[in-house]
Amino acid sequence: MKAVLKKLMTAMRGSVNELGEAVVDSQGSRILEQELRDSEHELKQAKNELAALMAEVASLNRQIKTESDSAESREQDARKALAAGQEELAREVAERIVGHERRKVELTQARVQLEERTRGLKERVQKAEKQLAEYRRELQVVKTNERVLRTTAQIDTNINSNQSSLSTARETLERIRERQAREEDRQGARAQLEKELTGQDLDEKLKAAGIDAEQDSVNDVLARLRGDQPS
Amino acid sequence: MDTQSLILALGDATHAGRTFNVMPVAGDDPVLQIAVSGADETPVYLTVTESQILCLVYLFEESEIRTSALPELHESMLRISVPMPLSALGKVENHYVVYGSLSPTSSQTEVMQELVTLADNAIDLLQTFEDFLE
Repeated sequence: MKAVLKKLMTAMRGSVNELGEAVVDSQGSRILEQELRDSEHELKQAKNELAALMAEVASLNRQIKTESDSAESREQDARKALAAGQEELAREVAERIVGHERRKVELTQARVQLEERTRGLKERVQKAEKQLAEYRRELQVVKTNERVLRTTAQIDTNINSNQSSLSTARETLERIRERQAREEDRQGARAQLEKELTGQDLDEKLKAAGIDAEQDSVNDVLARLRGDQPS
Repeated sequence: MDTQSLILALGDATHAGRTFNVMPVAGDDPVLQIAVSGADETPVYLTVTESQILCLVYLFEESEIRTSALPELHESMLRISVPMPLSALGKVENHYVVYGSLSPTSSQTEVMQELVTLADNAIDLLQTFEDFLE
């Protein structure tokens, strides 16, 4: 990931990214996509191999159990033969037991080896999965970068064909200010209209002329109160 | 969510009292130019990829910034980017942009919220950074 980010930064730094650099990037993503496919392939193979090994271990376990079971039952046979004084028969059974035990040891050794290979393979699978996740993350960065570059190139072409050129920030700011002024005017007009509708504007004019109904009634009350009090 | 269904959905939609004027941008990739009512001066460009819906607004070009003010502008942009709702600041080629990206599984409401926020943020940012302009 670090390598991909550094590469992108080097490509971006300095002069304008012309289409040439976008081409380099898309080659980068093609290489990454190939690596991703190789990694996926390797992972699939390793998983198949792992499944086969695990099946083999299970089969060995079954064989080992069969050998132990056989040895055990033959041991009972041998005891019975000895109890019946059949020395010769008991010896024959004992030879069988030795055979079973020998096979059991061989099978167990084979299992140990298989288990070691299984462990190794599991590690390989884990490593491949980690590598795969890494490639996917890198690919996403590279592809997004490509896409953003292509998109902005497309927008620029479009703007240039519709207008003489991309409007500058100053021009945009001017248009924003004009709209905001229009909105303020509209709001002012609305507030004025509301005042007229409620008669508030007339009240304000009267007040400005020194005619204030509210103040007048307060004064009336005060005059009445003064008149009531004996001086 | 693809650009076709967005064109259809946004055409008649209202979000927080705002409407959307959608125009496809000619070219190989599906890109939309979306003007949000009340912030028409800063159109949002939207494109959909397999991993995200990318929305961006052009703020200004590097050539429009006073050269001596560039380091201070960059510092301010980095600092302001974190608290700004739903948008981040960035640079593509010579364009300084404010952008936001959404999951491709986002709902229409989420996309509309992003568009309104982004267009409003762009206006606030332009007015904020006006002093850095040539």
